[in-house]
Amino acid sequence: MLIRLVGGEVIDPVNNGPRQRDVWIKDGVLIDPPMGETADQTHDVSGCIVMAGAIDIHSHIGGGNVNTARLLLPEHHAAHQPRPAHTPLSNAGWSTFQTGTLYAQMGFTTVVEPAMAPYTALHTHLELADIPIIDKATLAILGNDDFTLSLLRNGKSSAMLDDYIAWVVGSTRALGVKVINAGAAAAFKENVRSFSFDDVVPEYGVSSRKIVKSLQASVTRLGIPHPLHVHANNLGIAGSADTAADTIAATEGVPLHLAHLQFYGYGTEGKRKFSSEAARLAELINANPDVTIDIGQVMFGQTVTISSDVMRQFTAIGNASPKKSVILDGDGNGGGGIVPYRYKQDYYGSLQWAVGLELFLLITDPWRVFFTTDHPNGAPFTAYPELFELLMSSGARDAKSTELNATALELTTLASVRREYTLEEIAIMTRAAPARLLGLKDRGHLGPGAIADVAVYRKGKDIARMFREAALVFKNGDLVVKNGKVTHYRWGKTLRLNPPPDKAMIKRMRDYHEERYGLSLDWFTFPDSAIQRDAPFAEVSCNS
Amino acid sequence: MSVAWVGSQPVSLMDAIQNAAKLLASSRCPVFTLDTDVHGTRSAIALAERLGGAYDHGLGETLANEVSLFTNHGGMFTTPGEARRRSSLIVLVGEIPASHHEMLESWAASRPDLGDRNKRLWFHASGSGTVSADTSKLVRKLKAVSLGGDGLSLEGALAVLRAELHGRHVASPLVNVAQFRQALNKSQFPVFVFSGTSGEAAGLVMLQGLIADLNKNGRASSVFLPADDDAWGTALTSLWMTGFPPRTGFSNSLPSYDPVRWDVQRMIREKEADLHVWMSTRGDETPPARGRIALISLSKNETPTAGAAVTISVGKAGVDHDGVTYSSRVGTFRAVAASAPSQLPSISSIVQQLAEALPGRRALPC
Repeated sequence: MLIRLVGGEVIDPVNNGPRQRDVWIKDGVLIDPPMGETADQTHDVSGCIVMAGAIDIHSHIGGGNVNTARLLLPEHHAAHQPRPAHTPLSNAGWSTFQTGTLYAQMGFTTVVEPAMAPYTALHTHLELADIPIIDKATLAILGNDDFTLSLLRNGKSSAMLDDYIAWVVGSTRALGVKVINAGAAAAFKENVRSFSFDDVVPEYGVSSRKIVKSLQASVTRLGIPHPLHVHANNLGIAGSADTAADTIAATEGVPLHLAHLQFYGYGTEGKRKFSSEAARLAELINANPDVTIDIGQVMFGQTVTISSDVMRQFTAIGNASPKKSVILDGDGNGGGGIVPYRYKQDYYGSLQWAVGLELFLLITDPWRVFFTTDHPNGAPFTAYPELFELLMSSGARDAKSTELNATALELTTLASVRREYTLEEIAIMTRAAPARLLGLKDRGHLGPGAIADVAVYRKGKDIARMFREAALVFKNGDLVVKNGKVTHYRWGKTLRLNPPPDKAMIKRMRDYHEERYGLSLDWFTFPDSAIQRDAPFAEVSCNS
Repeated sequence: MSVAWVGSQPVSLMDAIQNAAKLLASSRCPVFTLDTDVHGTRSAIALAERLGGAYDHGLGETLANEVSLFTNHGGMFTTPGEARRRSSLIVLVGEIPASHHEMLESWAASRPDLGDRNKRLWFHASGSGTVSADTSKLVRKLKAVSLGGDGLSLEGALAVLRAELHGRHVASPLVNVAQFRQALNKSQFPVFVFSGTSGEAAGLVMLQGLIADLNKNGRASSVFLPADDDAWGTALTSLWMTGFPPRTGFSNSLPSYDPVRWDVQRMIREKEADLHVWMSTRGDETPPARGRIALISLSKNETPTAGAAVTISVGKAGVDHDGVTYSSRVGTFRAVAASAPSQLPSISSIVQQLAEALPGRRALPC
């Protein structure tokens, strides 16, 4: 099948070709204009912009904690729309099917679930496999488990840690490694209630800093393309900017990704001792090329916070709205907390909203700042179109600011920042940069050889509307969205690394699980066939 | 050996599929009773959506009770693995299903290797005369110390325990409460083990209140052991498929969750439904004999189901074919390989064939 998109304005910062050019797709892959061939299918996209499919690097779309949130809140996700005729279950509120449908309609074609507890990997992959259309990937959580902490306490070799991480990444089919409030979940089980970067896990005598640095080094040595994905300590509390600054300073020449930085952008100034430190953090990021960040933008309204940072979530129970929550002390890296929350346009909500935007606008390099709401923690991903508008229009920010708490906004720099993201910068932040960050060479751009994940948006003054309803979306060259509506399902892959496991580590894992859990290792692992979809995984190479 | 019947007559699988599909296509309100593994559940829910039906689990009443703890309240939980490794004080709460006894006995045979590492102590909170002989036997085996009071229900006993631990005066203290208080003081991570059969929803909420109290200054948690692992697996699968637990229906083209409205047995009894699709891979089970509506049986039986218009014999995941089931041993899903592979088809494959035999012949999304 040869497809031609004619007359569109192509936004492809990686390849820097002319803006006015046709885009050609052959058998699911982008190609240079073929000589003397006629397209089987031609789409007139005059008046539209053409971009690669978008990539979301941090969105909680599936797995045990997400499912527990559904269980806790059946009233939270009632569906209200008529069901499309050809896409089963796509309006089932907050289902896997709806997740794929809504992402695709916005032009997103790859999404990363950033928090998979290794012992619940099968559950996570079962859910990801039921998300239609888009490709998925997930990050394995490490850094709170007895095995890692014991290795560090006992001074075992870095090679052994590498072997363990390679085994976890391979056996759980992960695309990378995440550490969440390193050591805090283990410390919380011993009744520790606050945990900073240099605090020590009681059972192991290992600091949070030591855990992060060890994992960061190991991820780099193993050639895992995505740098260690770090959910730092002290999320959400006044003064957390100091923790973020400490973590940023600790990179020491090794790449590190700092997740949802907005939730660490808080100082202790002002009457309420809760102020913006976004400008300071932005300066630190701008000065440290080792660091990439995503934002975790807050938007207003009801949501539910889902996090494996069990210590933090426990402290948030009192703010639950409605008043119910689940706290799970899981095995090792599992567990977490589910706490529903409503972001109000009060002092605190307004400040959080402004901090996120300050970070977006004050961090100068769009290759190092990533577009997320930490779905659903800052806001559901369905708020993305409105967020695009806020980034691309200072007028839209001014208009929204008039509805918010003026005292909070006065403690920020937001009003003075007039930057507006260009379409090129949006394409970098949501396409090219995520692909590079994750090591996905086959996407994020429109050059020949890339998979034909293409989003076409109808240009208009209403930026939110433009990004909410893509005019056309192709996934692997298959036209799956027309005029903002999914036309049919296809089943994407889950992208994974597959580092070869060390035989001695497999034996060690067998012995460990039999001794500590009284169960053989096959209780915790699974074959690909357990997913029951054709070829559910696609391998991504590690760096050599 | 026949695997398909129309009425009591053996037929080819294809004929049975065609007959079942006709019934499905002409049904005004089909209802589905599920009791299968993850993949059978996925397919069955997709078929229910296609037909605008409703679905429930075979143990719907008990499952609804368990689900309600989460939908109405939430709580603090830990996993069986973490409890085994970390907790030196385990409190069994009320009735514990026999399917979990072996696991609990294996905990008793091990010593915690994390946390305080003290020798494990066991208590049993219960109401007067409310536990089965099996649970009583387990309690004796584990040498669990009784926590109860004369004439108190489990809910009452938990309320009194909570009050006593809070330092409040109670008219009639529980037996052995001083011993329990002493054990609590020594344990860094006490764990309460309960099930949906442990007591009424109010009692489970009271238990979570007690655990919340203990977490104000120390740590404590609970292990939820579902009354039935397969039923809980169905609940989790249903949640990601539709956003809702079972007792969900697809009226007006959209899923809605209502534990009363979509109680399938009630719908059959009150003749709201006109076709019952009963799926059970448990083996030798028969559908409850309530109401007289058309029945399609997909069950692990060697004979036609009494009263069924169509019966198709199916295999069980982990026995006849590979599959994925929920396991309380690990607190999550587990891949299970066939232990005695057979030719019996999986529920998932039969449901797919049913969908493709319906008008339109469209495949299901899973």
